[in-house]
Amino acid sequence: MVFLFAALAVLPYLLSYSQQEIAVLLVINVLLVSSYRLLTLTGEWSLGHVVIMGVGAYASALLAKRLGVPVPLSMLLGASMAAATAALLSFPLFRMKGFYFLIGSFAAGEIIRLIWKRFTDPFGGPKGLKRIDPFPDIDAGFLSIDFYEPVNYYFLALIIVSASLFVLHRIERSRIGLTFHAIHWQDRLAESVGVDTFRYRTLAFVIASFFAGLAGGLYAHYVGAVNPTRFSVDQMVYVLVWAVVGGTATFYGPILGVVVLTVINEIVLRALGLDTARPLIYGAILILSVLYLPDGLESLGPRLRARWQRWRGGPAAARGEAA
Amino acid sequence: MDLLWQTAVNATYAASYMALIAVGLVMIFGVMGVINFAHGELYMVGAYCVVFLYAQENFPFLLAVAAGLVFVGMVGLVMERTMFRPLRNNPLGGLIASIGFLLILQTLAVFGFGRRMGHVPPSTQGKLEIFGAILTYQRLFVIVAAVLLLAALWTFLRRSKFGRALRACAQDAEAASLQGISMNQTARIAMFIGAALAGVAGALTAPLVSPTPYIGHSIIVTAFIIIIVGGVGSLEGAVIAAVLYAFVHTFVTTFFDGVIANIVGLALMLAVLVVRPTGLFGAKERA
Amino acid sequence: MSRKSLHRKISRRKFLGTSAAAGAALAATGTGLPRVSFADSHTIKIGFLAPLTGPVAAWGKPGLDGCLIWADWVNAKGGVSIGGQSYNIEFVGYDNEYDAAKARTGATKLIKEDGVKFIMMLGGDTWPGVQTIAEREGMLFSTLLPSDLSPDSTTLLAPCEVHPIYNVTGVEWLAENKPELKTAAMCAQDDSLGKPSVATYLAAFEAAGIEMVDAPLFFDPATTDFAPVMTKLMAGNPDILCLDTCYADYVHPLCEQAFQQGYQGQIISCTADFYQKIIEKTSEEFMEGFIFQFPDFDDPALNSEDVNFVNPNEFYVEYANRYGASEWSAVSWEYASIMDLWADAAANAGSAEPAAVLEAMKADGTGKHAFGTADWWGTELFGIDNALVGNWPVVVIEGGKARIKGFKSIPAWWNQHKDLMIKHMTDLGQMWNQRG
Repeated sequence: MVFLFAALAVLPYLLSYSQQEIAVLLVINVLLVSSYRLLTLTGEWSLGHVVIMGVGAYASALLAKRLGVPVPLSMLLGASMAAATAALLSFPLFRMKGFYFLIGSFAAGEIIRLIWKRFTDPFGGPKGLKRIDPFPDIDAGFLSIDFYEPVNYYFLALIIVSASLFVLHRIERSRIGLTFHAIHWQDRLAESVGVDTFRYRTLAFVIASFFAGLAGGLYAHYVGAVNPTRFSVDQMVYVLVWAVVGGTATFYGPILGVVVLTVINEIVLRALGLDTARPLIYGAILILSVLYLPDGLESLGPRLRARWQRWRGGPAAARGEAA
Repeated sequence: MDLLWQTAVNATYAASYMALIAVGLVMIFGVMGVINFAHGELYMVGAYCVVFLYAQENFPFLLAVAAGLVFVGMVGLVMERTMFRPLRNNPLGGLIASIGFLLILQTLAVFGFGRRMGHVPPSTQGKLEIFGAILTYQRLFVIVAAVLLLAALWTFLRRSKFGRALRACAQDAEAASLQGISMNQTARIAMFIGAALAGVAGALTAPLVSPTPYIGHSIIVTAFIIIIVGGVGSLEGAVIAAVLYAFVHTFVTTFFDGVIANIVGLALMLAVLVVRPTGLFGAKERA
Repeated sequence: MSRKSLHRKISRRKFLGTSAAAGAALAATGTGLPRVSFADSHTIKIGFLAPLTGPVAAWGKPGLDGCLIWADWVNAKGGVSIGGQSYNIEFVGYDNEYDAAKARTGATKLIKEDGVKFIMMLGGDTWPGVQTIAEREGMLFSTLLPSDLSPDSTTLLAPCEVHPIYNVTGVEWLAENKPELKTAAMCAQDDSLGKPSVATYLAAFEAAGIEMVDAPLFFDPATTDFAPVMTKLMAGNPDILCLDTCYADYVHPLCEQAFQQGYQGQIISCTADFYQKIIEKTSEEFMEGFIFQFPDFDDPALNSEDVNFVNPNEFYVEYANRYGASEWSAVSWEYASIMDLWADAAANAGSAEPAAVLEAMKADGTGKHAFGTADWWGTELFGIDNALVGNWPVVVIEGGKARIKGFKSIPAWWNQHKDLMIKHMTDLGQMWNQRG
């Protein structure tokens, strides 16, 4: 753990300036996909998670721009707004399950996006909002931090995201988290022992949405612009892809997915100069990964370990027999 | 009155090609339990078959459409064999694979035909006047083909052994396989038909839209709305929802505007979801 | 020798003027200077930050392709001469996928890692992600979408296509030549290109005394069936059908539907890409007299002395040879024409540094626009004079071929009718101080 944090602290200094920018967005996306996993614990997959992130982004941006709310506070309020939206949406959505929930969340998300597009005041219409207030610089005489610099924003995002991941992890390990699992695998049974599954589903949805909204706030005040297209189903598809390619059985699976796929798409494929063929190769990688790693990248470690042990165990056992 | 009547004719055309696409999507979902995100791209491939064979190589239009139907059906078979069959117990994996596949199809279309629109001259400029409303032969082809194909499909599903197997698998795959129905065989047929319907819709409408490598995106969102309204597992529901959606959308576009029509379409979908989450004709329980 | 002092040197040179004699004299001294900033090569890099993949790529990739021809031609002639030294031009592309965050990453890469001296963008959704960087780094940027302009960004220019203001020229020509046409109907896609275009046409029609039979019809950008749209437009029986700034994949089916539903009046549009294919879908008679704003580059009128685009006819032929005629569009030449303007300014400045080039570009308030010398203008519409506006061609289809019928002055129209334009832009929320 200490080693991991040390690595993350050194990381930006090993990267080029534009790679630091990619690292910032990657950290934000880690929070997005990890919050998504919390929702999937209850067995529900949503197509509206990116729109919920957008609710956080729009709310935080508007609070800062229109009402002059200081940025760190506006992010928290934006996240709360995302959570409140989720609470409201849970009434129609949790009448559905499984596939119907999936498309229901898609429908709800499209309607929210249409509201952003249609009501130019205050949402800015198809062009969205720009010149969103940046995270305020810290200037305490001896220490001055300019959050325009990606290194600094990287550390800011890293701290906020690490704290959020810690909370998400604790929730998962708590009784509530265990109940989420129970609802996923045995919802009838859970109900029969008195668990109110609707309440727990809603709780998971609200918590996940809070952190998605927080990711939205981090995004909005870094990039400085949001628009309805940024939160379309195309972007949602990427979150789904990260989660499934990484695997959702473990806490670190989706994180692995987003890190590996982002590095491949944004750094490796660009560096190879593939230009217009990039989507094709990315598509092929997606197909191959679900075919040959159906349990996600997270299963790679245990698999390799098992193979390694078999390989080591093999000769050793043979020698044992000979002796 | 003329305007009303012309709008009804416009809506009939829209309903026809939407029904072809939506029925294909429902068919694939029904048998394989996979949401085929690449369905809009299958439509796109069908359209480009006509761009290539008819507009560039001068084959007769109907031959090009038939080739589009068969070719896209074969693409469907490739998808079934390489992706959906190995991922049969992994519907999310199937979804991701179809997303990967759509990226591949889009890029191949850009490589083969450029990123700008393809051009298809009309196969005929003739038109029909029905009580003052104008219906071009080109659009009439689409309506007639949709009616014929959907009627043939309906008969096939009712009468043939395959059809019964297909419906059995759609209703309960496990029970069907216990009865000795080959899951692989039915999946192949469903995938071929589902893809071919999207392909033939693209091929038939190619002279009427301007096909681009990214046109699938416009198609899939509409198709989604239709199958949600109709009920995800129901072929009849898909047809009726396509007609309903096309009429509502066309009339609102003509009497208000296109953006309001989209809002009304989404509101319709939401209303259906709230009142009857399984869609107008969906099975009660299938989660 | 630090970069700073070299820069000061260059400013002084510029002060001395741009006469050939002075240039030659300074070139002689220039060679004696240690070239710290250009030490290792005689190449200047230019950034190209636009969508190269995805649905919006048609607005970016053909532009990069055009620039590659531009670079080959310029480099074959020995490059651009700046401060007595010749430099080859190299383009560095970055695919921003039309996403603000990726545009931000791309901009920092181009500036900090590739060391480009100028960045061309499509703009639109991607510009807000880059805005802060442009202000902080003082990098010179160009956009094709002037709605990105604002007084906050002094280093962003719209030096080629000042969409949609030039659309007034087509309407003006129409009113002069066909005064009997009195009513119009229009439609546009509901996006950031369609809205200001509608405002412009409304203003132009009002200025020309042409009445609208109905409110403008907006449709969703994902529309594929245009029969209902056309039925609605034709219901008011207009003399003129205005297709606004519809993309090519809307213009084609719209024309086809107008033809099929029996329309026989005038059509005016911003673009008519691949109009030969529209004629195939309709008829030559139907398309006769169709007015739009983008000439074929094999048009002989482009060889006029006033036109600054270098070898337009040859450029078109070369482009069609390399990439296929079906990839040609306005985007193909627009970015290249911006490079003409840039190279000219850099030569005048005797430097490729962004600040010096910008100063030289705007030195006397005019610039060599592709279609003739034009003014730096825009304060009333964009809050800043960073749009290059002058003459724009009016193109009419005659006998199946698009022909330039004349170049009309945008500033002349503006001086007479600017109140109308500001009124309609304000109504649709398109003024710079109304945006986000």
